[in-house]
Amino acid sequence: MSKFAVLIQVNLKTILRDRILHAILGAVVVGLLLVPAISSFSMRQVQELAISLALSGISFFLLVMAILLGSSSIWRDVEQRHTTSVLTLPLSRTTYVLAKFAAIAIFLLGTGILLGICSIPLISVAAASYPSDQPILWGNLVVALCGDIAKSMLIAAMALLLSSISTSFYLPFFGSVVLYLCGSASQEVYEYVTGEFVRAMHPLVIVIIKSVYCLLPNLAAFNYKVQAVYALPIPFEQIAWSVGYGTLYVAMILVLAVLTFNRRVLG
Amino acid sequence: MNPILIERISKSYKGKKGQRIQALSELTLEVKPGEILGVLGPNGAGKSTTIKILTGQIPPDSGTVEILGAMAGSMQARSAFGYLPENPAFYDFLTPREYLHLVGAAFAMSVDRIKSESDRVLALLDLQTDSDRPLRGFSKGMVQRLGLAQALLHDPDLFIWDEPMSGLDPMGRALVKGLMLELKRRGKTIFFSTHVTADVEAVCDRVAVIVGGRLQALNDVQEILADGIEGYQVQILNPSAELAARFSASEDNGVMTELYVSREALPGFLDLASRGGEDIRLIEPRRRNLEQFFLDIVSRNQR
Repeated sequence: MSKFAVLIQVNLKTILRDRILHAILGAVVVGLLLVPAISSFSMRQVQELAISLALSGISFFLLVMAILLGSSSIWRDVEQRHTTSVLTLPLSRTTYVLAKFAAIAIFLLGTGILLGICSIPLISVAAASYPSDQPILWGNLVVALCGDIAKSMLIAAMALLLSSISTSFYLPFFGSVVLYLCGSASQEVYEYVTGEFVRAMHPLVIVIIKSVYCLLPNLAAFNYKVQAVYALPIPFEQIAWSVGYGTLYVAMILVLAVLTFNRRVLG
Repeated sequence: MNPILIERISKSYKGKKGQRIQALSELTLEVKPGEILGVLGPNGAGKSTTIKILTGQIPPDSGTVEILGAMAGSMQARSAFGYLPENPAFYDFLTPREYLHLVGAAFAMSVDRIKSESDRVLALLDLQTDSDRPLRGFSKGMVQRLGLAQALLHDPDLFIWDEPMSGLDPMGRALVKGLMLELKRRGKTIFFSTHVTADVEAVCDRVAVIVGGRLQALNDVQEILADGIEGYQVQILNPSAELAARFSASEDNGVMTELYVSREALPGFLDLASRGGEDIRLIEPRRRNLEQFFLDIVSRNQR
């Protein structure tokens, strides 16, 4: 097995053996089990609410995991001096950083799929109790789930980048929360400043906002919940754009993380 | 080729209020093949900085370091030695066997070899019974022994150990000393730092003393011990009156007399004793030990 694969394995073991994560995962599973019961409170849109709750629950879990795992990754290894043991072995820092991300990404993908599979019978039960006029497009649900997984991977990459330069928990944790909030709102802000309502705004301010928009992650690009809930068609181009954008953005963040960590003095 | 070649390395750190703290100044040192070289020094002397530079954790400000011909910090150099960090810390969710698997994979060992070598080093360091238990339940001494095990796993020719006896009980210390001598017997080279002069005396061929970031002494341990001989304690059975008159007795129980003979007077004493047919039972050197040698250097540099 290659060095990269073994490092991924070690990081995955570290993630999977963390009891805090077990507790969070348990809480989310319990929440998902309550989806049919909670959905029944909505008399008209039980199916829609069940889909929305299931996807939101999974999305929230993935978000929490991405922030916790990404932000506690590298700085904690440095603080606990694991890097002294590992990075004096013939392993490159690039391999180390990429394996950290790969392990988190595999975990997010695995748990996302697992929770997605768990929610199929729950949504089916809720939908069967009060049949809706709209069909359940399972393909749309898969796309929405994949969008959430991709979004969580992007947030994990950002948290990892912040973790690679940080010496404590605060910057990567709060930094990634702030970036998540900004990334969630960036599309709306962009649409606002490019709309007709901002003629009074100084052109320089608009340029700055547009520049920041380009730098910040656009998390709206991964949001397919509406299409999943209301069985709306999803153009292939939109999916392709999300995949391309997500891949490029994550790749750029990882390159930055590798470059910064390679320059970091750990002694 | 010398396993370690350090040439004029200097290193400074940023201190408070922008001051520079000089950790190492123009340090030059060579470690010969097959020798055990111990680095002694007080706290803050620069021992750990030297080891961090050797293992590629930090770069020197100036100077060069070669590990078996490769630049320190390069992948080639890091493949060439087994490193034990000071107070090692490993992923505590892993078991020793899992950690050794990571180490073996890093050194591109085959799975079969990792398994057999893991068995070997775990047995050597007396960790077999705990080999499948997570490290988070390990004592400091057990973690230290795992640190040694992972340094031995790929059987390199060079070992760089930072305070290898730290945290070990007397049994563990004896185990490690025996291990070092066994490695030396197999032609391996060991470079290690320590505070404990007795450890150097027990296992080292040479000792380097670093004080204030500078190399203050680099000596053969046996020479230091030989040079440190101040005189001899001699036990003699019923000495003649002439001998007793010339050399002061430190103890006399009526049968066996113990005399102190200075280093300079020893030839004369032996001549006189052989002419008088004296019954010498024991001649034991009284010497300044390595600790005294080390303390002299430190105090000289603090003046």
